[in-house]
Order: sequence, then C-alpha cells, then structure tokens
Amino acid sequence: MTGSGFDIHLDEVTLASAKRGDMRACEKIYRSYHTPAYTLAVRICKCRELAQEVTQEAFITAFRRVPQFRGESPFWGWLRRVVINHAISSLRKLPRHDAVEFEDYMVATSGDQERLGHAMDLSQALEKLGDGDRQVVWLHDVEGYKHREIADLLGKTESYSKTRLNRARARLRSLIDANEAQDSAATTLGATLNARL
Amino acid sequence: MNANDRWNNATTDPLGLSDLEAIEPGYDGWARIESSLRSQVAAQRNWRRTGGWLAVAASLVLIVSISIRNNEDAATFESSLASNTNAGASNPTARDTDNIAALISLSQEMEDQVKQLRQETSSMPAESVIYVAELEDLIAQVDNELSFTPDSIDLWGQRVNLLLDLAQIYQQQWQIDYGRMAAL
Repeated sequence: MTGSGFDIHLDEVTLASAKRGDMRACEKIYRSYHTPAYTLAVRICKCRELAQEVTQEAFITAFRRVPQFRGESPFWGWLRRVVINHAISSLRKLPRHDAVEFEDYMVATSGDQERLGHAMDLSQALEKLGDGDRQVVWLHDVEGYKHREIADLLGKTESYSKTRLNRARARLRSLIDANEAQDSAATTLGATLNARL
Repeated sequence: MNANDRWNNATTDPLGLSDLEAIEPGYDGWARIESSLRSQVAAQRNWRRTGGWLAVAASLVLIVSISIRNNEDAATFESSLASNTNAGASNPTARDTDNIAALISLSQEMEDQVKQLRQETSSMPAESVIYVAELEDLIAQVDNELSFTPDSIDLWGQRVNLLLDLAQIYQQQWQIDYGRMAAL
C-alpha cells in the first residue's frame, strides 16, 4: 500500500460504467478514493481547506476524463496523478507565504502514546517544511515517485528534486530532534522539581 | 523484514513518513461533484443540439441561395429570348414567396438561438466582442433596409447569414471554455 493508501483495486465493471457516465459508478469511485485523495492533497498543500477544494476539483476532472483512461496503468495511479497535478497547480496559484510554526505539546510516557507523539512530531514537522521540500519528500518517500517523475510533475530538473529531498529530510530530522530534546529537557526538569519537592 | 527491506526502507523512507495515518476528510463532497457533472452533461447536450441546428440552418440558407440563383438565371434566359415580355417581372413568384417565408422563419429561430447562446457563454476576449458588435451593427443595417423592402430575399438571406456568423462566435467561445475546463 502507498503512504496515502491510494493503491486500491478498482473492478473493471465499475470502471466501464464510470466511463459511460454512470453516476452510481462514479460515486462508488469517489467513496473508495476520497480519503486517500484528501490525505494526499493535505500532505502536499498543508492547508485543509485548500486540500478539500483540490480533492473536489480533482474528482470532477477525473470523472470528465475517465473515458480517455486507457487502462495501461492501474486506475489508482492515474487518479493519484490527477490529484497531485491539481494540488501542485493550486499551490502555484497561491501567493507566497511563510511556513506556519507548529505548537508544542506534552508527550506522554506510555509506549503507544510515544509512537503517537512521534507521528505527531513527524506530521507537524512535515507541515513546517516549505512547499517545495514538502512536495518532494512526500512524493519520493511516501508515494514512491522517482526523481525524474517528480521533476516532470513539478516542471523542474532531477537535481532540483534530489537537492530538495536531501534538504527536506535533514530539516525534518532536525525538527524532530529539537522537539525530542525539548521534551527530554522538560522531563528532566520535571524530575528535578519532583525530587526537590 | 529482512536486511534488504530495511535498507530499501531506509533509503526510500528513512523517517517513516509512510507510517503516518490517513487523514479523514470529515465532509462529503459527492453532491457537489454530481451536480457539477450533471450540469456539464446537460450543457454538452444543449450545445450538441445547437451545433446540429446551426448546421441545418446553414444548409437551408445554402439551398435557398441556390434556388434564388437558379431563379435569376432562368429569368435572365427568358428575358433574352423574349425581351418584349415583361409582365410580372417585378412581382415575386410563388417560389420566391416560399423562400422569403422560409428565411423569415429561419431568421426568427436563429435570433432565439443567438439569444440563448449569449446567455450561456462566459466573457469573451476583446477581439470577439468587437466582432460581435460589428455583426450586430450589420444586422441592424439590414433590418433598416428590410423596413423599406420587406420582400427582399437577398436581405433576408444576408440577415440569416449574419446571425449564423454570430452564433458561430458564441459556439467557438463555448468550445474554448469547455476545453479549458476539461484541461484542468
């Protein structure tokens, strides 16, 4: 399964019906891929409102164009590409903005909560990246695109993709480490205070 | 997971981003998508019908023009044979009257179609707007001349042709808009 959970098999009957414009088939497709499409849009766009808009427009485009889908690759891969194209295009239309700072939060001590905490760290660190870095690291590390494909999608060079990926990973690591160090310091401080009391 | 898998994962996703959970949308956008798709299908059907109608109108104008040309040729031939006979030359023949009636009816239907097309077309580029204004001026001139000679086949034919040109501009604009939407 891909990171955004897109690789869901679509049966031939539903696909053929959707190509003929059958609304029930289109709805079935929408219900199957809505969450992965939205997840991917959020990961690329960061903003949930924009991701919602991107997802809607991407599905409308996909259903309009589905008669042209030849079936040379899996349907989910084709749909995923439509979503990515819409997300990238929507981001390009936005005025440039600074990355939003993420808020600190308390980390619990149990194992499950630590894992959850790590996922939250990662998710929030991801949101802290710039648009270009976030797009590249997600498309490469999670969706499995190659540098050449990412370069095509973004209209950039392969070396742009490689540089962005290295930078994004390094930045994510430093953000997570900084957060962990902060948590560790907070725990030590808590322990010291407890010992004094 | 073997060493190879671990190595692959480390190089493709060293931070474990793939483990992040899916984000639930928390909304249902199907109704909006369905409405958009249905309105697009209706618009396509409407324009296909209009396109077909325009083709029929153009064919009719052509038939009437050929008919007029044949009438004129026949009249010239007859007048060369019997130059003294001029009885009824200034009065329209029965065929002319039929042609005029057909053109008037076509002109009225074209006008309704153009009205509808105008409502359904989005904003147009400046060049098209100028062309539309010129065509509308020409139609107004023809209307003015028709007020003096209402039985002129030539003027009615011109009017229908001008309306056809006008309808084609609107249709082309729609095709551009539709192509743009489909390319998104």
